[in-house]
Amino acid sequence: MEKFKAVVNVKLKDTIKDVKAQTLEQAIHQLMPIKNIKCRVGTRYLIEFDANDKKEAEKIVRTIADEILSNSVIEEYEILW
Amino acid sequence: MVKAGIITFLGTNCERDTKQALEYLGWDVEYIWQNDKIEKYYDVIFLPGGFSFGDHISSGRIAKLMPAVKSLPVGKSLIVGICNGFQILTEAKLLSGALTYNENLHFVSKVTELEFQNEIIRLPIAHHQGNYTGKNGEEVIMRYKNNVNGSDDRIAGIYDRQKRIIGMMPHPERAVFEELGLVDGRKVFEFIQNEI
Repeated sequence: MEKFKAVVNVKLKDTIKDVKAQTLEQAIHQLMPIKNIKCRVGTRYLIEFDANDKKEAEKIVRTIADEILSNSVIEEYEILW
Repeated sequence: MVKAGIITFLGTNCERDTKQALEYLGWDVEYIWQNDKIEKYYDVIFLPGGFSFGDHISSGRIAKLMPAVKSLPVGKSLIVGICNGFQILTEAKLLSGALTYNENLHFVSKVTELEFQNEIIRLPIAHHQGNYTGKNGEEVIMRYKNNVNGSDDRIAGIYDRQKRIIGMMPHPERAVFEELGLVDGRKVFEFIQNEI
């Protein structure tokens, strides 16, 4: 078994209105005058586990991301190693 | 007599309100624990309101993995999700779409007017993630008169194509007893009873 460490970043799809990001944009405007600011808000998950190889590890993380960390109707994710 | 089951999860907090409301209406009611597979027959199974698993990750995301949800007799019993129960049904993909954060990011808790069965009724709502989007073929059975959370098309409740699964954000179980000042919840339960 090998040790693996994955980072999963989840955010709303660009087609879904991100009200937290809109609030963040307003807050940034209050802080300083920046033009054309666009934000998206997401969540970062760090997952450590043991697996036989990288292929199995990728399958495990994808299953976790699909089933628990994201909802494919409104969210998308990326996996970083 | 209508035989009803109410699934309880860690963090559910509307199961007693729902049981009392249904018993007042003369239904035979029992709880179903999240870890138990559903093997008995119920005319209707409720997924009640609350904060299953603390709403961690996202509302309903973890509850959908529980044996009681995995073993829901879809197509047999009528299944009704109220508030957190609606969120669980969408997360489990038993109803299409998703419930995201309210447009104003506030937890909204108040009595609101709803369009239901060609009349205006008043029911309590209490949710943070009630902003519904992504309906795909379901019938809208309930709409907010004023869009309180940013939902597509003011949607407050839907009914699946096969007419076996209902999801709604308002709380009819909190509007059954005269003492609480609201009784329009009875109309919703009458509707449910007619659909069994």
